[in-house]
Amino acid sequence: MKATGFNQDLLRAAVEEFPADEFSAARSSAVAKLASVGFPTVGDEDWKYTNLGLAAEISNGWLKTIIADHGAIAEQSSSEQVAMICQEIDAHWIIIQNGIIGSDSLAELDGQAGSGVSFSKLDFADKDDADDDAMSLFNVALLRDGLRITARANATTDKPIGVLLADSPSSAVTQTRIVIDAGDNAHLRVVEYNLSVDPGRQFTNSVVQANLASGATVDHVRIQNRADDHVGVNKITVNLDRDASYNHNSFDLGGALTRNDVITKIAGKGAAVKLNGLYLATGTQHIDNHTSILHLVGPSTSEEEYRGILAGSSQCVFNGKVIVSPGADGTDSRQSNHNLLLSDRAEIDTKPELEIYADDVKCAHGATVGQLDETALFYLRTRGLGLDEARKMITRAFAAGTLSNLAVTECQDHLAEVLDQRLANLIGDSQ
Amino acid sequence: MLEVKNLKASIVGKEILSGLNLSVAAGEVHAIMGPNGSGKSTLAQVIAGQPDYEVTDGSVEFLGKDLLELETEERAREGIFLGFQYPVEIPGVNNAYLLKAAVNAKRKHHGLTEIDAFEFLKLAREKMAMLGMDQSFLNRGVNEGFSGGEKKRNEILQMAMLEPRLAILDETDSGLDIDALKAVANGVNSLRDPERAIVLVTHYQRLLDYIEPDHVHVLSGGRIVRSGDKSLALELEERGYEWVREAASA
Repeated sequence: MKATGFNQDLLRAAVEEFPADEFSAARSSAVAKLASVGFPTVGDEDWKYTNLGLAAEISNGWLKTIIADHGAIAEQSSSEQVAMICQEIDAHWIIIQNGIIGSDSLAELDGQAGSGVSFSKLDFADKDDADDDAMSLFNVALLRDGLRITARANATTDKPIGVLLADSPSSAVTQTRIVIDAGDNAHLRVVEYNLSVDPGRQFTNSVVQANLASGATVDHVRIQNRADDHVGVNKITVNLDRDASYNHNSFDLGGALTRNDVITKIAGKGAAVKLNGLYLATGTQHIDNHTSILHLVGPSTSEEEYRGILAGSSQCVFNGKVIVSPGADGTDSRQSNHNLLLSDRAEIDTKPELEIYADDVKCAHGATVGQLDETALFYLRTRGLGLDEARKMITRAFAAGTLSNLAVTECQDHLAEVLDQRLANLIGDSQ
Repeated sequence: MLEVKNLKASIVGKEILSGLNLSVAAGEVHAIMGPNGSGKSTLAQVIAGQPDYEVTDGSVEFLGKDLLELETEERAREGIFLGFQYPVEIPGVNNAYLLKAAVNAKRKHHGLTEIDAFEFLKLAREKMAMLGMDQSFLNRGVNEGFSGGEKKRNEILQMAMLEPRLAILDETDSGLDIDALKAVANGVNSLRDPERAIVLVTHYQRLLDYIEPDHVHVLSGGRIVRSGDKSLALELEERGYEWVREAASA
């Protein structure tokens, strides 16, 4: 059985219950397009290791309640965790609860974060046409709200912009959509925090689109710290013009199943992409990172390093695609994926995918999978460190590199603390 | 201080030590020599508690305690230090961080308060100056990208910081040029103490020109086949290990 069991009829009926708004036309169109595509299945090459059956099941159940409640979406209570994160990471915060942006939070921020930087609700009249892949269509089909961050030419902010996706199972399915437009030579620093406010089954599906004009820089740290039963599908699409640079750090720490697609398109000479990721998995967690870097022109550079630490019976996937188009001479691309397996039952499927259609290019890639080095453990123990402490020290060191080149340093302390707790869990589970 | 009696140890079913006896008193320097494969390094590893070795017979007593009952880290905290033949590179683990954790693990074991960052740095700088080591060592990853000489010097720094009662230095001279050898030997000599015993495991006599032993033992076939004073090392240098082997089997 390859079908995920997603019920299109329920989707159609639920969307009809939604109140008419600026997204109505886009929603109907997305529903119609999705009808011919359906949810991806493990029969699709790109989804070979990641089964969205649970996402479909949660969606079907939720759609039934939406139909019953005539389109009303459950409100969410405030959370201490949200307040804590906003305090620990110094940023201009925008809270998106169950896919809905707090109405006052944008007005307050507008103009305050820096001159030339503005915030608005997404208006589908501006033709933010979704990509035609199934999960982007699903996102638009159920979209209730969206955020646009715009930086005019040369604009910058004093502090990073924080976007906190605070989701709770009170609304079992949520869609988020964020568009970032960085004008010529603008510099935006963005922290995207994916949080589960309460435990319980939930499916979130988010789309981030960033458009970088000539010379613009976007630093984007994404922290995924979801609850145990959470299913998350996230897609980030980045378009880079001449001399633009996009620096991305992703941290996947929680969730039952997470799928990330990061798609970057270099369309201008001199542009640079940096993708760094860390994923920590234990129990039966599943984390799938698919990245794609398209060098349409050269000279241009891309650097990518993903690291994973796997315990328990977790399963992770890294698929790194690099495409160098014909004529994109002077492309310099480096990619690596390193994995530390703390358990015999954990599984990593890692695959670089290079398609090179130009002659004058430098492309390097490498992947490693290893276990804790017994000799190193013995060495540390002969210095008086206990076995647990030695394990922790080596594991922490493996992850540390991803913190030292953080694109938004304001997150560093918070991340170090969260990582430490998470690593302690992983090591505890691997005994 | 250290009493090894009839020690037999094997790895993956193969016996390496077959009834070894050794007695080391505080303040003494012992050299353990022998041909390749005679069990020199195994002896060092078994005393330090390498978990891959299985002790099948005999006993090891250290300061009156049954050493074989203790975990590797407990032996270290009790005062045993093993200087590795091949010090392990641990990328990302800061040298200072390891040293401080090691010093404090030992202090805690002995019921002492942990030292803070300030005291630690003061102590580390003192020891490094004594060993002629650059301060930048502290901020580098443990042995990460170190030259052979730097690695061995780093072992001696760890020894100086941990102030062990018994230091076993496994082939500390291997892979060192003459300048590095002198520097390491000076470091070891500065750590000689009436309260401390040092066991040098070495293949060549060369090291003993710089660190003068009180006793020299020759290991062959997993047992000590001959013991003497430093003149034994010179005799070995002259006549080769074959001489001892023949004498032992005669």
